[in-house]
Amino acid sequence: MAHSYILLVEDNPDDAFLASRIIGKACRHEILMARDGEEAHDLLLLMERDHTFHQIKLVLLDLKLPKISGLELLEGIRSSEKLHGLRVAILTSSDNETDQKKCRELGVVDYIYKPMTVDRLKSVLSRSEAHE
Amino acid sequence: MKEEAGEAGEISMLYVEDEADARQMVARMLTMNYPNLTIYNAENGLAALEIYRRHTPEIVLTDINMPVMDGIRMSREIKAINPEARIIAVTAHSDTSYLLSAIEIGVHHYVLKPLNYQELFSVLDKVLEQITLKRLVAEQHRRLAQSERQLAGAQRIAHLGSWQRDIESGTMNWSDELYRICGLEPGSIPASYQAFLERFHPEDRESVTRSMLNAMNPGHHPEHEFCRVLRPDASLRVVRLDVESVREPGSGQTLIGTCHDVTELKEAEVQVRSLTEDLERRVQQRTSLLQASVSELESFSYFVSHDLRAPVARLEGFCTALLEDCGVCGNSNCRQYAERARNVVQQIKQIMDAFNSLTHLARCTLMIQETDLSALARDIAEGLAGSRPERHVEFVIAEGVCVRGDRELLKKALEQLLNNAWRFTSKKERGEIEFGRFDQEGIPVYFVRDNGAGFNMKYAEKLFKPFQTIHTPGEFAWSGTGIGLALVHGIVLRHGGRIWAEGEVDRGATFYFTLEQNPESGSYLKEA
Repeated sequence: MAHSYILLVEDNPDDAFLASRIIGKACRHEILMARDGEEAHDLLLLMERDHTFHQIKLVLLDLKLPKISGLELLEGIRSSEKLHGLRVAILTSSDNETDQKKCRELGVVDYIYKPMTVDRLKSVLSRSEAHE
Repeated sequence: MKEEAGEAGEISMLYVEDEADARQMVARMLTMNYPNLTIYNAENGLAALEIYRRHTPEIVLTDINMPVMDGIRMSREIKAINPEARIIAVTAHSDTSYLLSAIEIGVHHYVLKPLNYQELFSVLDKVLEQITLKRLVAEQHRRLAQSERQLAGAQRIAHLGSWQRDIESGTMNWSDELYRICGLEPGSIPASYQAFLERFHPEDRESVTRSMLNAMNPGHHPEHEFCRVLRPDASLRVVRLDVESVREPGSGQTLIGTCHDVTELKEAEVQVRSLTEDLERRVQQRTSLLQASVSELESFSYFVSHDLRAPVARLEGFCTALLEDCGVCGNSNCRQYAERARNVVQQIKQIMDAFNSLTHLARCTLMIQETDLSALARDIAEGLAGSRPERHVEFVIAEGVCVRGDRELLKKALEQLLNNAWRFTSKKERGEIEFGRFDQEGIPVYFVRDNGAGFNMKYAEKLFKPFQTIHTPGEFAWSGTGIGLALVHGIVLRHGGRIWAEGEVDRGATFYFTLEQNPESGSYLKEA
């Protein structure tokens, strides 16, 4: 069976640790880690070329990121020919209504306030899988 | 002329004739023909002088040849008393010596004997006419002098000088007040246009000349100039110069004008302007200060709602991790501590939310519109009554209480006040909650009153401060963060009003608030 991944885009190591822990408890997907928008962007480009990007089951995207912000990355994914169908859930601690509205417009699976819980992630994943 | 004589006032005549018959006859004729003329009779010069001294009649008609004192001597005496006396001599003499002495004395009229009435009346008419004319002239003169005095007085009081300038002859005429405005004794220098110009500050002379030229232009609209007059003592006066052209048929062009000393007015105007500017500057200063503090608040709120939320969420995440992963740990304290730490995190989050809703009030944009507080209160009351149908609470809501304000915010404020009233009457068998309005010194005051738990007035100050509570947690199923009334306070403040409360323990509480009649829409934030 091919590997399946959750791409976690998170700059803060504590948040990355906490999210990884929840992912590990909630599912069997492997974790791909990007520490900023640029890293995530490069990784996605690579996987696009390798045709492995469809192995990404979910992108957990923080909004406040160095270099390329979460919102910019999301916009990039949606405008990409191949990647536009990727499932993205926002993982944030901000309650900015404008951001939230924009993300919904860009079609995110969920908008999760930190800290993420096992149940919440499970529900997101089950919704994502139901779409497949 | 006879009528006008009457109008000019009483005229009297002394008639002197030694022959009694003739005297009576002539006197009767005179009375008949000159009913307005007062006539005194005398039989000789001496008697006539007596009467003259007593009555000083304007006219003396006298015979010349009389016993005791003749007409010539008497006339001389009368002329000595009053040179203006008009004497008509009645004489049979036509010799020149008589006439010459009569002329010398000042007897300018005479009638020959035997008396011809036609002739007498004609002479008398002429004399009466002269007297009337003279009186008329004197009256006109008096009126003119009076009106000149009035004009001068008015000019002096109003500090309004006037002048007249004849263009062709180049002569000029200044009123006394104009001299005084220029700091000069009236008449102390010859009034000429050159002298007039020299009264003004050198920089303003061009304006004066321009005013004159403009006024001479037939199509000109009257305009005024403010010019500075430079007094000999070097002090400056500001005058308003008005010029108009007058063209009378047969004479050349004349300019008339006024110089109104408006120095004090101008000074006041300058003062008002500088005060206004000062005020505007201060308003601007305050506005930018306010804007600065609001944007500081804005960034601080941003900090709280974004930057602070992240570590708090992290902390919460670790607490959960502790609880989940150390749940099996033998030490029960671990679990307890982790739980308590997670509660603390919840408290921090509540405080952050409370803080954000409070600061939101200062930052948010007001949408001012007609708002029916009665309708809002009714809806809220219905909601409350429906939530606990078993409770007996009577709501009394005044009808038609409408204000201008932000509907959403005012609704929030009323909700808070009515919710409080609802909660604090929960231990009463019969709750009473009232919303209404009354006028206090012309200002509408709105209130929410209940008969609930009330409060001790010594805590009244604390009521509207955020995070300060005066009831023990749990006492009234209370689990808020203690910002409800602080929010109401903030809403009332944004509406330019004030809020206060009265209460008595176990007797109830009343919350009063006022609102600015027409609060300003918008926000304090500088528009980007």
